[in-house]
Amino acid sequence: MKKDVFTYLVAGKAGEGVKKAGSVAAHLFADMKRAVFEMDDYQSLIKGGHNFSVVSTAPAEISNHYMEADLVVAHDARSYTIHREHIKEHGLLIVNSDEVENTEVIGIPMTTEAKKYPPADLRLGVGSVAVLAAAIGFDERTLEQLIRKEYPKDVEKNVEYAKTIHALIPSEVKGTFTINLGDRKRPLLTGNEAAALGAVAAGLDIYIAYPMTPSSSILHFLAALDRDLGIVTIHPENEIAVANMAIGAAFAGAKTMVGSSGGGMALMEEAFSLAGMTETPVLFVLSSRSGPSTGVPTYTEQADLRFALNQGHGDFLRIVAAPGSIEETFYCTAELLKLVWRFQTPGVLLLDKHISESSMTVDVQPEKCAWVSPVLHTSGEYKRYSNTDEGVSPLLFPPSKELIKWNSYEHDELGITTDKADNIAQMHDKRRRKSDAAREYLKKLQTVNTYGDGDPVIFTYGSSTMGVLEALRASSIKARVVQPIYLEPFPVWELTQYQGTTVIAVEQNSTGQFAALLKEKAGIESRCIRKYDGRPFDPEDLAAVLEEVLSWS
Amino acid sequence: MELGTYAENTWCKGCGNFGILTAVKRAVKILAERGIPKEYLVISAGIGCHAKIFDYLNMSGLYSIHGRSMATIQGMKVANPDLKVITFAGDGDAYGEGIAHVIFAAKRNADITVVVHNNGVYGLTTGQYTPTSEKGFKGRSTPRGSIEEPLNPLTLLLEAGATFLGRAYSGKIDNMAHTMVRAVEHEGFSFIDVLQPCVSYNNTYNLYNELTEELDETPRTLKEALEIARTKDRLYIGTIYETEKPVFHKELYGDWNPVVDSLSREERIKRINNLLKK
Repeated sequence: MKKDVFTYLVAGKAGEGVKKAGSVAAHLFADMKRAVFEMDDYQSLIKGGHNFSVVSTAPAEISNHYMEADLVVAHDARSYTIHREHIKEHGLLIVNSDEVENTEVIGIPMTTEAKKYPPADLRLGVGSVAVLAAAIGFDERTLEQLIRKEYPKDVEKNVEYAKTIHALIPSEVKGTFTINLGDRKRPLLTGNEAAALGAVAAGLDIYIAYPMTPSSSILHFLAALDRDLGIVTIHPENEIAVANMAIGAAFAGAKTMVGSSGGGMALMEEAFSLAGMTETPVLFVLSSRSGPSTGVPTYTEQADLRFALNQGHGDFLRIVAAPGSIEETFYCTAELLKLVWRFQTPGVLLLDKHISESSMTVDVQPEKCAWVSPVLHTSGEYKRYSNTDEGVSPLLFPPSKELIKWNSYEHDELGITTDKADNIAQMHDKRRRKSDAAREYLKKLQTVNTYGDGDPVIFTYGSSTMGVLEALRASSIKARVVQPIYLEPFPVWELTQYQGTTVIAVEQNSTGQFAALLKEKAGIESRCIRKYDGRPFDPEDLAAVLEEVLSWS
Repeated sequence: MELGTYAENTWCKGCGNFGILTAVKRAVKILAERGIPKEYLVISAGIGCHAKIFDYLNMSGLYSIHGRSMATIQGMKVANPDLKVITFAGDGDAYGEGIAHVIFAAKRNADITVVVHNNGVYGLTTGQYTPTSEKGFKGRSTPRGSIEEPLNPLTLLLEAGATFLGRAYSGKIDNMAHTMVRAVEHEGFSFIDVLQPCVSYNNTYNLYNELTEELDETPRTLKEALEIARTKDRLYIGTIYETEKPVFHKELYGDWNPVVDSLSREERIKRINNLLKK
């Protein structure tokens, strides 16, 4: 375990401000110029149940949360029972003594005090922040500043309650932990926020979506900021309308993105093929939950890999990428939006709950983002599906004196429906040349990340990358980590050196879809580490498994 | 103004679609004279015999898929509100596969025009009952007769909030063209149900010639419009209802035009950096 990581875990029922307490802690550490990773574990319900938020922070670098915490605050008995397992050696567990009858741990009557500042339930999270503040040595005044900044609604009650809790913390506990300042202040973003901002930086005009966890916060984030960012958000009647509106909007020249989870993506799949045939650029965000079907809405899994790669019926170019960090999500979304416009085809940004909804401090510079710049018709007679060498036909948008016909049927160059044999083959050839051109184009881009060198080699992708990299930081394992960012077209040209070798594959599903893809596309054999209980990898647990697998060779 | 294309027309001889095609061409010319140039009119279509009109019209647009063209044109309109968007749809598109899109477009008063070629039969798939087929209709999927009551699209659309509702008959072309002009000029959701015989599977010429009657004037209230819409012994054609309500795209973003006013790269970078500093 890395000595310089500090982890705070707060747990209780939904409706007690647990998530907010986690968020306050994360922002506090980010303000202390530290690197932060926050993961919220919550159920698909509004009140009650069991929620927790875990915030890990390191001076300069962190890519995943740790389940073993330095400080655990438990609002209720269930939280205590579950999370007493998660206390680090020399760690501190503080419970709400109104709910937990145990004289061996430090108890604070959080509910009794909260009842003096109704509504009591909502107040508990403020109390947990006060506990954290006391444990890291904040005096009452510093705590008050923090509460005023973070809980402006009903602020006086929050301040009074926080001070009360702070005063009840035993003096020997105060200042137990020393949190040093880090190197620089970085913004804290969720993966969904990073995707949204990356898309806007690249030229996004319209975001259309129907709510579905864990993709919904893209819609919420952009709907709240659309006028500030100069874009439009729409929430129509269903995902089928979402995808077809997006295609209509792209026809009119708007850079459009849509988003959902597996079930909603399945509804959009008909339109995905329409986009393939009409050569419409639309970026689809697929944020996976634990599946299949309704599955486990608020938990994570990487079991939609094959689904993402095979979206839509028929032969056409699909571009699929899965970023391996929240920072990479920002740039990758921008690049995908550029690519779908460059090659006039649908693309998929593959995320999952862990990367979509976790927060992380990031270094992002919008000026380094890709910028959508499609091939445009400039002059002369216009044919929507002109049979160019590259297969990409220049775009022209209405209003125009020229005839612009996009067609879901097989079509001739002008866009008129056809069933003629030579036309059919000609358009298939055109679209295939476009796929070839996209593959060549990708060869000039960073399609695979490699961390470290030598042996052993660990392959992973998407959100699991965050866990793998942190597992290496948390242990003494020396390994090379290879992470394909692009999954379709699959960057085999970057992976020839691994052909015929046996690597370790790490992924978050039960059947090893990524390991099978490595074998199918690149001839790479692997021993596959899989996790499929809805919970993201814990770096220390993963390190232990990696050590075991490495010991076999 | 050339409004035809080189596409070979493959509708059956005597098909009601010919009347609709003629009325559309007439309406487009009238609209041009009244200040809406052809290049600002953008079309879409669903899938079925009706949709071949997409290939036969020298007009820009996107040939959509079954039931979805109402969503397609809402996307076009919201992206560039300067465009006037029209979709053609079959009764299978508008009242079956895509009925949710129709109802919600009416509910949100999307500024679009929907023209439904309602022939009460699936022609292109060789004769199955549709949502508007009479009970007892014998089609290839209902050889003993349809066991479902038909929908009344007019009352449905009025209840859903349509701000312009028309009915036309493919045999009365001038009346149809006139209703189409009014529908396109109407700011808000415009819907025309066109009664159209299918000579091969549901020949209703005699019925419609006998029952259709042009309205002398547009009913003034929703109540009157609903009465007209419910009347079965006479089929009134023309504008059945027109009212004003705020339109979706203006409620959404006022005078903004997402395509025309799309922010520069520099402006976006500035705004995102400001946000990241917070």
